[in-house]
Amino acid sequence: MKASGISLERSETGVAVVVLEGDHDLSTAAALRSRLEGLIAEGVPVVVDLTPTTFIDSAILDALLSALRRARGQGLGFAALIGESPAEPAVRRIFELTQLVPLFPVLSTRSAALDAVLSGPEAR
Amino acid sequence: MSDDLLPERPNLRLVLPARAENVAVVRQALNGVAEGLALEAFTLTDIKIAVSEACTNVVLHAYPGREGPLVVDAWAGDGEELVVVVRDRGSGFTPAARTESAGLGLGLALIASLSKEVHIGSEPGGGTEVRMRFRLDPDREDMEVTSL
Repeated sequence: MKASGISLERSETGVAVVVLEGDHDLSTAAALRSRLEGLIAEGVPVVVDLTPTTFIDSAILDALLSALRRARGQGLGFAALIGESPAEPAVRRIFELTQLVPLFPVLSTRSAALDAVLSGPEAR
Repeated sequence: MSDDLLPERPNLRLVLPARAENVAVVRQALNGVAEGLALEAFTLTDIKIAVSEACTNVVLHAYPGREGPLVVDAWAGDGEELVVVVRDRGSGFTPAARTESAGLGLGLALIASLSKEVHIGSEPGGGTEVRMRFRLDPDREDMEVTSL
């Protein structure tokens, strides 16, 4: 399933991995929000894979934080996956600037992210 | 480069419908400007984040219920700074309206954090102008300290 650079994969352990490819901003924020809300409503732990993402802005951060709050409210794991050395530094930069890393579960490998969300909402 | 010294003709001028999909068009155009200036990737990233936020404000708030233009000008006069002006012909600037919806209200804070200087003003005859000044060779350590 892929639309607007947003695709969905499922891990063998039942985690939804939402992959954001390319640039994401106000033009894709509503689609992302809707996709994340749907998965959380299903009771599925979610990893948002930002490793192939070249740009995000505050509209995307808003969608991610809204989903994080919903997931925590339902006792579901929710985490972001950000590569250690992305070709485009925008994703890590905006997480650093907004000081979200301490608040938002951010992992650097897919296996660590999958393990983290299966541990529950507070897993880091 | 003071504003008084800005050449009449900018290096970049875009006039686009103020729609969400056109914010990416602005970023793409900034890539072209950066190529000409041989900017470091992190400098371009900061400029793109700030300019995107300013454009997003226009898309979200300048023209409630109607269409209107998003205007972006950029000057790279002396090679040490880039001045980018994002303007609209909308209903004027109301900080409350521009911080209560999408984007966590972080847009203006990000702009202020990432630019050397920002000025937000009203345009004669209506509309809002966000004028941002970026250093093209910023001290990355200084920039890190300005986290929100």
